[in-house]
Amino acid sequence: MIRARVAAACFLLCGCATSSLVLLPDDEGHQGSVAVLEAGGRPAEAVIADGNSRTRLGDATPAPRPLGPNGLKKQEAALLSGLPPPPRSFILYFEQGTTTLTQQSSAVLPALRAEIARRSGPAIEVLGHTDTVGGADDNDRLSVQRAEEVLGWLASQGFDRSMMSAAGRGERELMQPTMDNVDNPANRRVEVIVR
Amino acid sequence: MLRVPFAIGLIALLTASPVAAEIARIKQSSGAASIERGAGRLRAAPGLVLLPGDRLVTGKDGRMSLTFIDNTRFAIGPNSRVSVSEFQYDRTRQKGSFLTRVDRGSLAIVSGKIAKSDRDAMKVRTPNSLLGVRGTKFIVEVPK
Repeated sequence: MIRARVAAACFLLCGCATSSLVLLPDDEGHQGSVAVLEAGGRPAEAVIADGNSRTRLGDATPAPRPLGPNGLKKQEAALLSGLPPPPRSFILYFEQGTTTLTQQSSAVLPALRAEIARRSGPAIEVLGHTDTVGGADDNDRLSVQRAEEVLGWLASQGFDRSMMSAAGRGERELMQPTMDNVDNPANRRVEVIVR
Repeated sequence: MLRVPFAIGLIALLTASPVAAEIARIKQSSGAASIERGAGRLRAAPGLVLLPGDRLVTGKDGRMSLTFIDNTRFAIGPNSRVSVSEFQYDRTRQKGSFLTRVDRGSLAIVSGKIAKSDRDAMKVRTPNSLLGVRGTKFIVEVPK
């Protein structure tokens, strides 16, 4: 008898201790969803889309329950507060045909430096672009040179090159689509993504 | 004479390859937190570069957080074992595939560009389920 009770208690405990999912809106307030593609080793086709819900995993037909007035458990709130900050992107603009930053973009550099400095374990991705003035090959070269200009500045500020990666995209990814050979200040840019 | 520059070239190639395969970086860690790579074990220090196949392991006081190159963000709680079984990302096309396995513990995820690129391009496997991530923020908990 006792053994049976222990076994039952054990089963109940294990039942409670099954995997679970807490679904939340993202930082911008959009609600995404999570599909259950397999449950208990079998293919499944269900979608969990209720924001601020808790769902036991393992059933082919999941039943999300609202988080309710108690909200998140303490350890869940602690986990969320440990998420890294979202990546932040900076756009720097250049004078026509050069690797010279516009005056306005030069003024952005201190904010860029501060953003990298405040992050723990930062990574920096630098992407160079041009407008459509000139040949495609020349613009590939120019976009790389613009990216290198920014890399050099970052290194001069004391950031280690091992945290940086760079690429030139030439005139392939225009911010403002134009015909060929169009002088366009918005397209002459370097995007710096700080993660 | 010709062998020396060749050897140097080879070393440069070998040391360059892990950088090319960078998938994420550790942002924060505390307590017992380490990365298992092959048969080795690395301390999960901020700035550490992660590679596909890495296993992220924490002890009872351990935590760590990381950001992937597609902007996906992870926070891992205590007593956890999480593996990045598959991670492929084409930065130019902003497409890829991403499979994470949560063997035990807790993992908070804010999905990034891979989850947006194609339906169920990002998946999370727990011992009793396989999830397809469709652009969101969520927590998966797997009790021991």
